[in-house]
Amino acid sequence: MSPTRIVITGMGAVTGFGFEWQSMWQKMLAGEHCIRPWQPEGVEASAFPLRYAAPVDMRLMPAHLQDHPAWGLSLEKRTRFGWIAATQAIADGGLSPEQLRGAAVLSASGAPAHRLQDMLLSLPDNPAQAPSWAQLMTRQAQVDPDSSLCQSNDRLARVIADGIGSEGPVINISSACAGASQAIGNAFQMIRRGEVDVAIAGGADSVLSLDTMTALYLLGAASSEQRWGTELCRPFDRHRSGLIAGEGGGFVVLETLERALARGATPYAEVLGFGSSLDAYKVTAPDPEGRGAVLAMQAALTDAGLAPRQVDLINAHGTSTPLNDAAETLAIKTLFTEREHYRRLLVTANKSQFGHLIAAAGAPEFMLTALACRDDRVTPTLNLHDADEQCDLDYCAHQAVKRKVDVALSNSFGFGGLNTSLALGKYREPSR
Amino acid sequence: MKKTVAIAGAGCVLPSGWGVESFWAAANEGRSAITALNTRRFHSERVVAFGQIQDQDHQRSRQDLAQNLQRYCTPAVIWGVSAVRQALDEAGLTGEQPGVRFGLYCCQGGYTHPSLESYAELLHGCRQDGVADMAAFAKRILQDRAQDPFLVLKGLSNCLLGVTSLALKLVGECNAYMQGVAGNLAALREATAALQAGRIDAAIIVGAGSELDTLALSGLVQAGVISANGSDTLLPFDLRGIGGIAGEGAAALVLRRREDLPAGPQTCLADMTAHAILARLSLPDRPTDVLVCSGTGDPHKDRELCQTLARTGASHITSGLAINGILSAAPSLVDLILARGALQAQQVPPIAGLQQPVANLPFVQGAPHPASLAHCLVLNRDDNGFSAAFQLFYSAEVPQD
Repeated sequence: MSPTRIVITGMGAVTGFGFEWQSMWQKMLAGEHCIRPWQPEGVEASAFPLRYAAPVDMRLMPAHLQDHPAWGLSLEKRTRFGWIAATQAIADGGLSPEQLRGAAVLSASGAPAHRLQDMLLSLPDNPAQAPSWAQLMTRQAQVDPDSSLCQSNDRLARVIADGIGSEGPVINISSACAGASQAIGNAFQMIRRGEVDVAIAGGADSVLSLDTMTALYLLGAASSEQRWGTELCRPFDRHRSGLIAGEGGGFVVLETLERALARGATPYAEVLGFGSSLDAYKVTAPDPEGRGAVLAMQAALTDAGLAPRQVDLINAHGTSTPLNDAAETLAIKTLFTEREHYRRLLVTANKSQFGHLIAAAGAPEFMLTALACRDDRVTPTLNLHDADEQCDLDYCAHQAVKRKVDVALSNSFGFGGLNTSLALGKYREPSR
Repeated sequence: MKKTVAIAGAGCVLPSGWGVESFWAAANEGRSAITALNTRRFHSERVVAFGQIQDQDHQRSRQDLAQNLQRYCTPAVIWGVSAVRQALDEAGLTGEQPGVRFGLYCCQGGYTHPSLESYAELLHGCRQDGVADMAAFAKRILQDRAQDPFLVLKGLSNCLLGVTSLALKLVGECNAYMQGVAGNLAALREATAALQAGRIDAAIIVGAGSELDTLALSGLVQAGVISANGSDTLLPFDLRGIGGIAGEGAAALVLRRREDLPAGPQTCLADMTAHAILARLSLPDRPTDVLVCSGTGDPHKDRELCQTLARTGASHITSGLAINGILSAAPSLVDLILARGALQAQQVPPIAGLQQPVANLPFVQGAPHPASLAHCLVLNRDDNGFSAAFQLFYSAEVPQD
């Protein structure tokens, strides 16, 4: 029996580029980016070391979304991004409520970002004297209902499931920067195992708050360089100095090909395989030899029944951190070593255009990989003017590349040393 | 045909103590480990009890994790690693076992972020007339380095996954969830599928979490999960129950293909089902010998739950909820450990404290009940509206898959 074919039939994205994937795709092909000067609320820019980010401009939000009943709910910013992206993906896929009743919802929404004012409410006025329970309950009631202190981490998945009236599995993935990829990979596996025949999967995140950005800075993950301005995110470049945080969300509709064709949907691309792995190296740094990344890509290819030589494109994790980009390059050269296939591969890093969306990152990157398979066009890696000697692949520098893409991998790696890779293929109609 | 999967090892760090034996002993004695809530951050006459990990069990757990890794961890992550080590010991495995491919599937509780206590001193320093002074906060953390640089790692919802993989040198496939029953179900389902597909040879499933945090606890009160009426006893399925009490802890299971385990009795996972609506949860056709169901401690909710329990045709019903409190991260894992204990001992522990059942069902009361037990059902209701059922069977035979 031939394996179940699983296709992407709907996509939705919220990034610094706006509130839908179509303009994101066009702007990225045109070589634009959405990294801007940024400062935390209530703090002078000169007093804070991180000066750039890729925020979502809420003023660009379409009016019809603001009129939706779900918009009136108390939701964190990340949950709103995810809800918009999922709503868009479902509309894009042309799915009716009836067709969504048994849908699985898998989402990743990262670690909660607390509001300082809310955290203060948990403290006694006098440190030597603890507040009473009555005071605490009063303070709990004062917590901003849009704050993460009020909301459980699986809120996004639940909001989407309730919004579409799904009675299917509702799963909240929490695997840091690999979260959305893992959600999509798990959705793919659930459909293939026959547990569901349609899934809404992706993620949303926003770390653009004072305490989370500070923590990223103190960890040495985020770049505080000033000299490059908005061209600070430079994956694989000699002068790369850390990640540039973004925010947003992305969701896709995955379903069996049989079901998609039966309802007249047109697939964007096909999901072929999924792999995950652990580095077991360090909590804060990737294995410099990229062994975990090799395992994840290898697992995705094995799962898809593909050989490395069949891969045309890798949508890299490409964070613009000194460690990741060198390790990922080495991993690619290790896995695609036969006949030096790595020299023929295209590699691209979307974070140079919309920053690092943390838990959500894998979702728009997966969509862009699917679109590359559909259109044979690959978005560029920006700001790669002086390639690191350890980074010697074809990274599609500066300009979009037009080349046939039959098979591609989309990589996402996370803090804590976990790695995921999704294998995608150009959609081909079934033979009669 | 799908390969049968069995529980090869289990471990836990719970209010009842360190290790499965402590939990099993408390269950059989009907002894609750819920104690007076011990926190210096607030005082209350309304929320007075908590299922709290004892300091000696925390210290024992710390011995299972290298000192240099502990700086990344919340206490719950340390308990999780310890639970995994126990489970691997029982399964006769180490993380770097030659020829064994591992998968690691983690579940963290909804409140495993670092306690707000860790921010307390810093926050006090930047409060101005009751309002957060953002500039002062920025100055203190940037110039004075007043914030723990590892706070963001401790706050990561995959911290348990990262630290466990490092501690045990695990490099195989993985996933991390942050959800109660649904997270446990997803982890067990994924682990089982990976074993059945032959991608891995041993699956580690671990859940760890704690709600011992002031606003988290008051949030649980507002959500109706725990009560704020001064109750110090959790009484599931009892008419005298007056609400839930939260607990903390960790539990881990190691699953393997039944055919890879030695001959002899093994506890096997037969099926797992879930549904957003409890009443529509798919249950086995045949009556079960023993049913493990946590309950809530709220007689009204428990009576409603009993309508579903009645459908199982169970000969015996028990619950471990009163022993440890309501656990956020490992509810199903702890119930599966209890179920496995019952199947292995051929004995059903009583529901601690139960005197006036909310329904006329075969709840085990008073003392452990010896019985011939082959099939077990674990039924979990999630207050987020997601319920799950796990079927177990106990057999000396290696099934012909």
